[in-house]
Amino acid sequence: MRRCFFLKKMVLMLAMGALAAGTGRGAFAAPASVSGIQEYKQNISTQEYEKRYNAVYGKFTGQMAEQGNPADFMLDDGKDLFKKVEGTTGKSCASCHGENGEKLKGVAAGYPKYDPAIKGINTMALQINRCRKENMGAPELKYESYDQLALELYVKSLSNGVPIKVSIDGPARPFYEAGKAYYYMRQGQLNMSCAICHVKYAGHMIRANLLSNNRHHADHWPGYRLKWGKTGSLQKRFRGCNKKVRAKPLPFQCDTYRDLELYLTYQANGLPVAVPGFRM
Amino acid sequence: MVIGRIKIRVPSVIKKGEVVPVMALVTHPMETGLRKTKDGKVVPAYFINDVDVFYGNDRITHCDWTYAISANPFISFYLKADKAAPLKIVYKDNKGGVYQQSVQINPR
Repeated sequence: MRRCFFLKKMVLMLAMGALAAGTGRGAFAAPASVSGIQEYKQNISTQEYEKRYNAVYGKFTGQMAEQGNPADFMLDDGKDLFKKVEGTTGKSCASCHGENGEKLKGVAAGYPKYDPAIKGINTMALQINRCRKENMGAPELKYESYDQLALELYVKSLSNGVPIKVSIDGPARPFYEAGKAYYYMRQGQLNMSCAICHVKYAGHMIRANLLSNNRHHADHWPGYRLKWGKTGSLQKRFRGCNKKVRAKPLPFQCDTYRDLELYLTYQANGLPVAVPGFRM
Repeated sequence: MVIGRIKIRVPSVIKKGEVVPVMALVTHPMETGLRKTKDGKVVPAYFINDVDVFYGNDRITHCDWTYAISANPFISFYLKADKAAPLKIVYKDNKGGVYQQSVQINPR
């Protein structure tokens, strides 16, 4: 967490410095470059990217997500957990949010979002744990444990089909910029940033795999991944990517990963929520 | 993870004589017996090696599987729905586990 805090501080300072510099240039500064980061452009056109993506993966992942997704078993368990009474107040999730979670329909499409109570970005996983602690008096679930993923999966699946609408206005803006700064920061022994692969070289091959662009990265987690052989969250995927460039992975739900999740989910704005996902 | 949970999908409305897709999913680790843990110990082989599909009293499909099949295997095949009968899928693994589930096919 210390490292995480340090990074955040550094990134915020950078962002503030850039803001100060930006105002000096007057009204001509583009809003996209507030944090002083020069954004990459995809090397190939969108049509070419779609063509290459379909040639490699086709409709396979989409079909499997609907028809043969092993995460469906977890979804059923999540539904049972939603109705299970736990904690000191004798409540379950269903006692406040409706028997089948009617009141939560569409809520997950607005997450992650800024929360003044924690002075930071609130993700769905964090919100579930906070709700358990504050309103149910139940112990927090360990991140990436089976129960935690199952509950998150079920709550998110209530918003299936609702377009993602993440706001970065107002107080969320500096956290979005911090997430973006992390996305563009070169790190690890290989000295790569997320953006090099997933923005600039999206559509090119990295050994035997096709690099995907970041538009569809955040709309279908938690999901089943063939390589893991089990269901995991987006932040588990972040850790995997960090390890691949030989950087040190950060802990789950730390400040930096939550900002990064906000940045990536904003890229997916307008796409429908589709959980559980299925990835190669 | 509970081993041997099965989900079978068939279309909700089936016409008599129609050829319908059937999809089945089972949870199983499908250990190859070639993998080692971090301590260097071999993880023993544990996989489904025999799948039978029954439609009524007839055995309509049989699969001999090896360790080359992925974890949580998914099978899909086509079925000519010409009678009202249960469709039963039976999985057997190399440690003697038997997992089965059936769905009723009611063509109209």
